[in-house]
Amino acid sequence: MKRFYLLGFLLLMAFDTLAQISFKYAGTQALPVEASLAWLLRVFGQPWVYGAVIGYVGAFFTWMALLKHAPIGPAFAASHLEVVSVMLLSIWLFDEQLTLARALGALAIIGGIVCLGLAESREHAAEADADPALG
Amino acid sequence: MMPAEGSISTLVASLWLLNIVLDTGGQLAFKAAAGDPAAGDGLARWKHMASRPWLWLGVGSYVAEFLVWIAFLSLVPLSEGVLLGSINIVAIMLAGRFLFGEKLTRLRVIGIALVTLGVTIVGLGT
Repeated sequence: MKRFYLLGFLLLMAFDTLAQISFKYAGTQALPVEASLAWLLRVFGQPWVYGAVIGYVGAFFTWMALLKHAPIGPAFAASHLEVVSVMLLSIWLFDEQLTLARALGALAIIGGIVCLGLAESREHAAEADADPALG
Repeated sequence: MMPAEGSISTLVASLWLLNIVLDTGGQLAFKAAAGDPAAGDGLARWKHMASRPWLWLGVGSYVAEFLVWIAFLSLVPLSEGVLLGSINIVAIMLAGRFLFGEKLTRLRVIGIALVTLGVTIVGLGT
């Protein structure tokens, strides 16, 4: 069963990553940004925006399936840790730099997400064996 | 024109803020729709939700957010964009605290502080 969860978490990250990469491609191809119908037509007139939709829909259903059984803490963390995969892929696909600010910021954010995931786990465990005598 | 990397324009900052508002607003609207105790069960629950504005407010926010996020990412490097977008986690937790009285345990406060710190570092580095 553990392997099943792990696969689910990885799938969730993969869908989220696909969505973000697709957003970037879609946005870049629709430049310049303007609040106009022309911009909307440029966004929806190329395939990448549909990659983003597939990523979102896929992530949604994976998330729902995971939430039924998987522990909530790791699921929460997995649903936000795509920042790591997206950053690594951005360096490769878009020639972006891993600047010091981005690396340090990413470390703090990842640390924060792990803390929040742990918090979810603990609160859930506490609710599950809530003892009225202890409150 | 695309602003040079290294300068955050007013447009980029506005899109970032708008994304936070839409994401948080959408989540809260869905929460309000799903948490309505009068909604009942099964199909009746969906009918009840569809006849009220909350569900649609949530859907509308998400559609708008989708477009705002595309515009935002087209103006900043993707690695920076996803890091700056992490602030949404914080905004939603704080909104849950203030609007629904959800508890913030010590571990949560630490998590929120770390994410905020990280986003600040990335923001200052742009």
